[in-house]
Amino acid sequence: MIPILQIILHLYFLYVILFFIVMNLTYTILLTLSYREIMKYMRHNSFSDFRPMLQSELTPPVTLLAPAYNEEPTVVDSVKSLLKLNYGMYEVVVINDGSKDKTLDVLKKEFELYRSKQVYNPALKAQAVRGIYRSHKTAYKNLVVVDKENGGKADALNVGINVARYEYVCAMDADSLLEDDALQKVMKPFLEDSTVVASGGIVRIANGCEIDHGRVVKVGLSHKLLPLFQVVEYFRAFLSGRMGWQGLNGLLIISGAFGMFKKSAVIEVGGYRHDTVGEDMELVARLHRIKLEKKEPYKVIFVPDPVCWTEAPESLQMLARQRNRWHRGLLDVMILHRKMLLNGDYGVVGLAAMPYFFFVELLGPVIEFSGYIISIVMYALGILNMKMVILFFIVSLFYGVMFSVGGVLLEEISFRRYPNPKHLALLLAMGVIENFGYRQLTAWWRIKAFYDHARGKRGWGLMQRKGFGNVQSS
Amino acid sequence: MLSPPPMGFELLIVLSLTIAATMMVIVVSLGIVIHKVVNTNLVRRRQRLYSAYSDIMAGLLLQELPALLPNARTSALFDQYELMIKSIKEQLVRMTPARRKHEREALRLALIDFAKDVSGEISDRLVYFFYSFGFVDEQIILLSNRHWWIRAQAARDAGLLKARRVITSLTAALEDEHPDVRIQAMESLARLVGVESLRTILRVSRNLSQWTSIELSTIVMEYNEAAVPFLVEGLESKDQSVLLFCIEMLAEIGFVTAVEPLRHLASEYPNVVVRAKAIEALGRLGDERAEVMLTSFIDNPFPNIRLKSIEALGRIGAPKAVPKLLKRLRQGELSEKIIAARAIASSGSVGMKALRSVSVSRDALNISVAEQVLEEFTVAQERT
Repeated sequence: MIPILQIILHLYFLYVILFFIVMNLTYTILLTLSYREIMKYMRHNSFSDFRPMLQSELTPPVTLLAPAYNEEPTVVDSVKSLLKLNYGMYEVVVINDGSKDKTLDVLKKEFELYRSKQVYNPALKAQAVRGIYRSHKTAYKNLVVVDKENGGKADALNVGINVARYEYVCAMDADSLLEDDALQKVMKPFLEDSTVVASGGIVRIANGCEIDHGRVVKVGLSHKLLPLFQVVEYFRAFLSGRMGWQGLNGLLIISGAFGMFKKSAVIEVGGYRHDTVGEDMELVARLHRIKLEKKEPYKVIFVPDPVCWTEAPESLQMLARQRNRWHRGLLDVMILHRKMLLNGDYGVVGLAAMPYFFFVELLGPVIEFSGYIISIVMYALGILNMKMVILFFIVSLFYGVMFSVGGVLLEEISFRRYPNPKHLALLLAMGVIENFGYRQLTAWWRIKAFYDHARGKRGWGLMQRKGFGNVQSS
Repeated sequence: MLSPPPMGFELLIVLSLTIAATMMVIVVSLGIVIHKVVNTNLVRRRQRLYSAYSDIMAGLLLQELPALLPNARTSALFDQYELMIKSIKEQLVRMTPARRKHEREALRLALIDFAKDVSGEISDRLVYFFYSFGFVDEQIILLSNRHWWIRAQAARDAGLLKARRVITSLTAALEDEHPDVRIQAMESLARLVGVESLRTILRVSRNLSQWTSIELSTIVMEYNEAAVPFLVEGLESKDQSVLLFCIEMLAEIGFVTAVEPLRHLASEYPNVVVRAKAIEALGRLGDERAEVMLTSFIDNPFPNIRLKSIEALGRIGAPKAVPKLLKRLRQGELSEKIIAARAIASSGSVGMKALRSVSVSRDALNISVAEQVLEEFTVAQERT
């Protein structure tokens, strides 16, 4: 009995090592691809003059969709900030998703809204619309507020798409901040290539930045550890992950906080799904799937410099909920689109992107944790080779650091939004420190997501935000 | 108690991995720091050189030259220019190739910056400097570089040099495989040749993306009405994207001579997309001569042509079309109903009366559409 157990444990340990090698190889390839793509983007962008785009009649108008749920304290500032973006013709559609606070009332008062007789066309199924409101003020003539029964973010976005006047819709969070030129930059891929169906921008952490009336006026870093870890994480995810995938046209995620879509393509695939908490990733996966099944040319693009600023959770409880939700969303997507996994009919998406998200992103935490448990069991049985474990830990640590440093490096050679060398040093240090505890903690939250998913937990969980206020510097 | 497994090979692999990972992390971290330092120094050095050359060239460009004799040779002026820059050229020759490269780049940038603002004799002097320092020939060579970004930069700079020798190369660059090179070549040609360049640009261009069209539209709009004859010529293009661009620009400029060719395209062209675009343009021009033709298109079997005609009639304001528009309001899809209702409302009191009658009819959807459009007009009036 014991020798069999010993063999099994050793085999599993070897499997963990093999997984570790494959995972790091994938990260290395992604990092290299990202570097190439960022360089390509930087060169291309140096010849882009956005001024004609602002004045030309040829620039397509855009509808900005901002779902709001219980955003009473911040919604007015957020909407005002959205109405001041630097783009030709656009409208802002705020969808009040059955808020229990006075979100609608403050909007009505501030923007002098009246109940419009606009005909509602339910092209996508969603909860009932109670009313569509517009402003009497000329300054706010491109503002539309939709009041609807509560149905979640996906449902609110579907209503927004139904109300949208224009062919391009930009989905975002009502509590995120877009930079003035973000719409121009995220729209450019659609203008350059008519097969583009979706394009997403980078999301950066606003904690520690100076914010004035919905604008980031000075980029900075938080003094708290958790937001700092997340800055490095976001670099890794956006600059060295998504950038690499878009180079292969295998990008499976466009952040729900900021993504532009061709409305007709979204309607064609049935809009956002209501029964998942990963509605943003699910929509992109479905776009890939349906376009590939129909054999239609299409592209999903990631643009690394139109910036959307978001507030990162500063407490462990909130962060745990967020990561749990993200992982449940990922699990949903993998289940819903399992047909694409390792399926050659779906090209890069089926053979590379889906396997990566399944084996590395979804199962990664499980394998990492099982490695810890197996080590403990082997130690208890006296069959653990301590030298081997220590060396393995060192290697994994160095790889972890390397990829974090890689993300920071990509930022440094490209956009340099943190000009202060102290910031650079701090971020590099975070890339090392996060491997001692933080990484294991996030892995544990992600493992717990499997249990919650199996229990049938579907909600977002309560997310408390501090709000940006007028001037914030934490 | 079990004994630990034999090590050796596994340990060797792990050790190698550790060393490799350590090295990579060290290299990457060092890379970041070195990059930051090198970059900062490089930027500082370039700025210093640029300032120095700006000062020198400003002095040379503003320097008074002795008047030439009436019977002086044509090249006498050039001799004076050459004398001015002789010492700089000599200094450059004495430098090491690496240093010379940096200095020449700073000099080139300084001269290009002056080129944006000067005119008359100073501009001629500057163009001579570009030729004499060899920048013009350099740009021509760079226009055939294997890297697209170098070609694009060369195309951009070539326009700023104001040297006519680059025209042939720029014209060839209009057919470059990379769109950024093509756009830069278009802008530079327009800068060098003027409105006449549009003839070549529109003749040579193929598969214009929307982005390229937007960039090109700024060139066209700079010339405004002077561009119309070339745009009308462009209507003969075999490339659909160029054709659509010319239609769009004619509508944007709004010149009366565009109506007839557009009417011809709207009624005769074999492609529905082009016809729809021409119809849209006629609407934007607001010329009443198109009203009868547009009214006849209201029942067209192609939805695109039908919708664009209704929209165009809305822009023109066509009371005679109201009965047909009412039919579309009653029979069309929701989007068509709304467009038809807006067109009806735009046709003045006759239309408003007709729309009010719909708002008290029996069909719930038609009533809603009529009410929506009536509200839109009321709010728009209040705002104005």
